[in-house]
Amino acid sequence: MTLLQRSSRRYLTQHPWLMGLSVLGVAIGVAVVVSIDLANTSASRAFELSAETVTGAATHQVVGTGETLDDNVYRRLREAGVRPSAPIVEGYATLQRGDRTFQVIGIDPLADAAFRPYLGTGTSGDLDLGAFMTQDVALMSAPTARELSLSSGDTLQVDVEGSTYSVSLLGLIEPRNERTRRSVANLLVVDVSMAQRLFDQSGRLSRIDLLAPSDEGTQTAYLDRVRQALPEGVQLRRSDTRTETVAQMTKAFDLNLTALSLLALIVGAFLIYNTMTFSIVQRRGLLGRLRALGVTRAQVFRLVLGEAAVLGVVGSGLGLLLGIVLASGLVQLLAQTINDLYFVVEVSELSISTWTLAKGGLLGLGTTLLAALPPAREATNAPVSTVLRRSTQETTLQRRAPWWAGLGLLVAGAGILLLLVTQQSIWAGYGALFCLLVGAALVTPLAVMVLANGVWPLLGRLTGVIGRMAARGIVANLSRTGVAIAALTVAIAATVGVGIMIDSFRGTVSDWLRQSLQADVYVQPPSLVFRRSTATLDSTVAARLRGVEGIAASYSVRRVTVQADVGRTELVAVEPGTNTEEIYQFKSGNPETAWDAVRSSPSVLVSEPYSYRYDVGVGDTLRLQTDRGQRPFAVKGVYFDYGSDLGVVLMSRSTYEQYYDDQGVSGLAFTADDTTSVDALIADMRASVAGLQDVLIRSNKALRETSMQVFDRTFTITTVLRLLAIAVAFIGVLTALMALALERRREMGVLRASGMTPPQVGGYLTLQSSLMGAIAGLLSLPLGYVLAYVLVFVINKRSFGWTLQLTVPTGVLLQALVLAVVAALLAGLYPTWRMARSSPAVALQDG
Amino acid sequence: MPASSPLVELNALTKTYREGDQDRTVLRDVSLHLDRGAFSVLMGRSGAGKSTLLNLISGIDLPTSGRIRIGGTDLTEKSETERTKFRRTNIGFVFQSFNLISTLTVAENVRLPLELAGNTPRADHDRAQAMLDRVGLADRADAFPDRLSGGEQQRVAVARALTHDPLLVLADEPTGNLDYETGQAVLTLLGDLVRDTDTTLLVATHDPEVLPRADRVLHLHGGTLHEEVPEYVGASR
Repeated sequence: MTLLQRSSRRYLTQHPWLMGLSVLGVAIGVAVVVSIDLANTSASRAFELSAETVTGAATHQVVGTGETLDDNVYRRLREAGVRPSAPIVEGYATLQRGDRTFQVIGIDPLADAAFRPYLGTGTSGDLDLGAFMTQDVALMSAPTARELSLSSGDTLQVDVEGSTYSVSLLGLIEPRNERTRRSVANLLVVDVSMAQRLFDQSGRLSRIDLLAPSDEGTQTAYLDRVRQALPEGVQLRRSDTRTETVAQMTKAFDLNLTALSLLALIVGAFLIYNTMTFSIVQRRGLLGRLRALGVTRAQVFRLVLGEAAVLGVVGSGLGLLLGIVLASGLVQLLAQTINDLYFVVEVSELSISTWTLAKGGLLGLGTTLLAALPPAREATNAPVSTVLRRSTQETTLQRRAPWWAGLGLLVAGAGILLLLVTQQSIWAGYGALFCLLVGAALVTPLAVMVLANGVWPLLGRLTGVIGRMAARGIVANLSRTGVAIAALTVAIAATVGVGIMIDSFRGTVSDWLRQSLQADVYVQPPSLVFRRSTATLDSTVAARLRGVEGIAASYSVRRVTVQADVGRTELVAVEPGTNTEEIYQFKSGNPETAWDAVRSSPSVLVSEPYSYRYDVGVGDTLRLQTDRGQRPFAVKGVYFDYGSDLGVVLMSRSTYEQYYDDQGVSGLAFTADDTTSVDALIADMRASVAGLQDVLIRSNKALRETSMQVFDRTFTITTVLRLLAIAVAFIGVLTALMALALERRREMGVLRASGMTPPQVGGYLTLQSSLMGAIAGLLSLPLGYVLAYVLVFVINKRSFGWTLQLTVPTGVLLQALVLAVVAALLAGLYPTWRMARSSPAVALQDG
Repeated sequence: MPASSPLVELNALTKTYREGDQDRTVLRDVSLHLDRGAFSVLMGRSGAGKSTLLNLISGIDLPTSGRIRIGGTDLTEKSETERTKFRRTNIGFVFQSFNLISTLTVAENVRLPLELAGNTPRADHDRAQAMLDRVGLADRADAFPDRLSGGEQQRVAVARALTHDPLLVLADEPTGNLDYETGQAVLTLLGDLVRDTDTTLLVATHDPEVLPRADRVLHLHGGTLHEEVPEYVGASR
C-alpha cells in the first residue's frame, strides 16, 4: 500500500460514522434495485417454468378464437394424420390445504408422453392409466406433496371459480432434476375429461399441442397440412407466442418498478456525492499540501475515486445481501400484484440469478464512482498553495451560484426538451425526470442563499444573535451546506413526487369507481385475477339470481379474451341499459351516436389504455377473431377505464352473441326496486344460490371498498420503494448535517471560548440544522410537484395510457416538511452532544 | 548545466491577478539569479508578493510574463503535470504552518517525497530514518503530527523538505508560528542541513532574526525586487 493509499485509508477510518452511513446509503440503494430485479425475475421465471411445463416439447399450438376451441378439431387433426398431437385443457385451482394455487393441466395420457415425458404418463410408465382416465384423480409433484403432508390415495379439496371438487391423489411425479422440480412444483395433472368438468368446458379444449418436424422444408409442408385441417376461426401459432404475450403484458409494470427501484439508488448516489464532496472540501488543505509536495492532479483524482470505490464495493456487497433478504419479502407482494392485475402466478421460491447480482453490484459501484467524479475533479483543483483561505472559496462559490443555477435551468430545460421530442419512450420520461432532479440540485445553492438571507433578519429578531449566526452560517459555508441541502431536497422531492402520484392515481380510480358502479348489487364468481375476471357464472346460478324478488333491473357482463389484428384482446360484452351513458365517460367520440351504433351494428368502444397501447381511435376498424372468422368492428368511441392497463374492447351483448357461440356470463349487476333494501336483496340472493357455485354477491359499497383494497395492494410495492427512498434520504441528511457540524468543531471551540455555554452552542447547531432542513423541505415541495406532474402526465401516460387527475394531498407535503426538519434535528443532536462533552481548548487545538 | 551557471534564474517575471474588473500586478519585471548552495532571504511586508514569488519559483503557479529556469529547466515551458513532477524531485518546502499530512505518521511524512519520486521502499525507510535522526526526532517516527509540538512539527517539515535531496528548498515564514528560541533552533537546523548538502535555500520572511544567517538579502517592495548586501553577510555562517 502506498503512502497516499494509507493516508486515504486513515481518513476513511477516522470518520467511521460518516463512511458507515454512506455505505449504508449505497447498500440500501443497491438492495432495493437488486430485490426488485430478483422479485421480477423470480415471478417471470416462475411463469416461464409453468409455461414451459405445460408447453413441454410442443413446437406449435392450435388455439380457438377465445379461450377455448371445440374438441372436434382434435379429432379432425388426428384423422388428417397430424401426429404426435395432444389435447390440453388448462386452468387454475386453489387447493384448500395450504390455500395454494395450482396450475391444472388436463392431458390425454396416451397422446401426451411425446410432449411432457417428465409427467410419467404413457403406456411404458407405471401409472394406472385406467384409473387416471376414468376416475376423479390427479397427479402432483412428490416434493410438493411432502410439503403439504399428502400421499397417494389422499383426497384433495379443489376450488375452481367458486365450486369445490374432491379429487384423489393417484400418484406422485418424481422430478429427475432441479429444473423439473421447480417446473412441476405447482402443477396438478388430470385427465383431459376431468379438466373439462373442473373448468366447465364440456366438449372444449384450451389448445392442441403439436410437434412439427425440425427440418424446415418438411415443417412447412406439415404446417400447411395442419392449416388445411383446421376449421375457420381456429388458429395455428408457435408455442412460444404465449410467453411473449405474457411478457408484453407486464412489460410496462416491470419497467416502472425497475425505474422506481432506481430512485433509491439515485438518492443513494446523491448521498455518495455529498459524502465525497464533503471529504474533499474538508481535506482541501491536505490535498493542497500533497500537491505542493509533487502529487499530480491525476494521482489526486485516482485517490478520491479509489476511496469512492472502497465505499462502493463495501456498500454494494452489503446491498446484495440485503437485496436477497428484501427480495424474499417483495416477491410475494409482487406475485400478489401480478395476480391482482395480470395473470395467475405462484412463486414458491426466489430465483437468485448471478446476472442480477452482478448487475446490482456493478450498478452500485458504477453509481458510486459516477457520483464521486465531480468531487474527484474538484479535488484536483485544490489550490496548491496554502495561502488561499476558505473564505475565498466560499466567496467564489457564492459568486458562482447564479451560474450554477443557470446551468441547472439548462439541464432541466434539456429534460423538458427530451419529453417534447419523444412521444412514447418510458425511459426518456425517466431520463427527463433525472434531468429535472439534477437541474434542481444545481439551482439549490442560489435558492439557499436567497432563502437564508431572507430569513436571517426575522430569525435575528426572534432568537437574537444565535439566530442571525445560524442563518448567516448557512450562506457563509455554502460549499458544504449547499450540497447537503441539494441532496436532501432531491431525496425528499422524489418521495413527494411518488406520494402525489399514488394519491392522484387513487383519487382518480376512486372517482371512476363511484361513477361506473351505479347498480346496487354485483355478482361474480371468485377469480384468481382480480382485474381480469373471465370466470363464468354457472347458468343455474344466474337464472336463480335473476328470479329473486325485488330486482328492478339486471345487466350482464361477459369478459373473454379474443385475438384481434392488433394482439390479444380482452373483450367485454355488456347489455347497455338506460343509464349506461352516465357510467361510461367518453374521452373521444359522441356518446349518443356511439351507443346507438354499439347497440345496433358491429361497432365497439375501446378503453383509453387500449386506444393508447394499440393506437386505435374513433373511426378506426378493429378486426376481431370471432366464431364466424375474422370480422371488422368500427370503433365508435374511447372511454375512460382504470380497470385494466392492458385495455378492453367493449361491445353489446347482442352483437357478441351474433359473433360468438357463447351464452356464458362473467358477472351480473342488479338494481333493487324502490321497496327492497339492498341488504335484504343480497340476503335473498345468497339464500337462492346456497349450495350451488360459490359466488361473490356484493353491494356497490363493498365492491368499491374491495376494489380500493386491491388498488392499495397493487401499490404496496411502490409504497415500500418510496419508504426505502425516504430511508436513504433520511440517512443522507443525517450524514450531511452531522459531517457539517463535526467539521466545525474549531468554530464551536471559538464560540465556547468566547463565552457561549454548551446549551447555547447546542441551540445554535440545532437551529442551523433545522433551518437547513426547513429550507430543503420547502424547496422539495415545488420540485416534488413537478416530478409528480411528470410521473402522472408523462410516465403513467406512456406506460399505461391513463389520464389521471393530479391532486396534491396536504398530508404528503406535510410529511415532506416534517421529514426534513426531524432528520435535520436528529442530525444536530449528536454533534451537540459531543460538543457539550468536549473541552473548547481541545477543539481549538484540533482545528 | 555548466557548474558556474546559477541554479535559479528568473528573467523579467511579471504576475498579474484579475480582481473583479481590475488587474492587480503583484510582481513587476522581477529578475534574479541564485547560485547553488546559496542561503537567500526574501523580505517584504505582508501582501508584498513573497508567497507569489515562491509559488512561481516552485512551478505551482505560472507568471503572466517572463522566464523561470531552475537547474537549467525552463518551468514556463512545462505543463502542469511536468511542473508537478519537477517539483516532487527538485524542490523541498517548509511552510509557516508546518503543513504536515495529518493522516500520515512522522516517518511516513518524511518518506512521502521519496515515494513520490519512485524510490524503493527499503531505501525510503533508511533515508527517512536518517533524516529524522538528523532533526532529533527518530523516537517520534511512529507518532502522528497532532501529537507533536509546533517546533517538533517544523523539524519534521525540515526533514521532509530535504529527504529527497532537492536542488532547492523554499521556506515560507518557517518561524512564523514558533516562539523565538524554537524558531532559532529550526533555522539553525535548516541552515546546517542545506549547507551540509550544498542545497540552495530561499527563505521568505519578515523576521529580521533570519538576516544574519543569509548570504543574500532580497527585498520585495511594490512588486519589484531589490537586493541589499548586508555588512554581516557570511558572518554567522
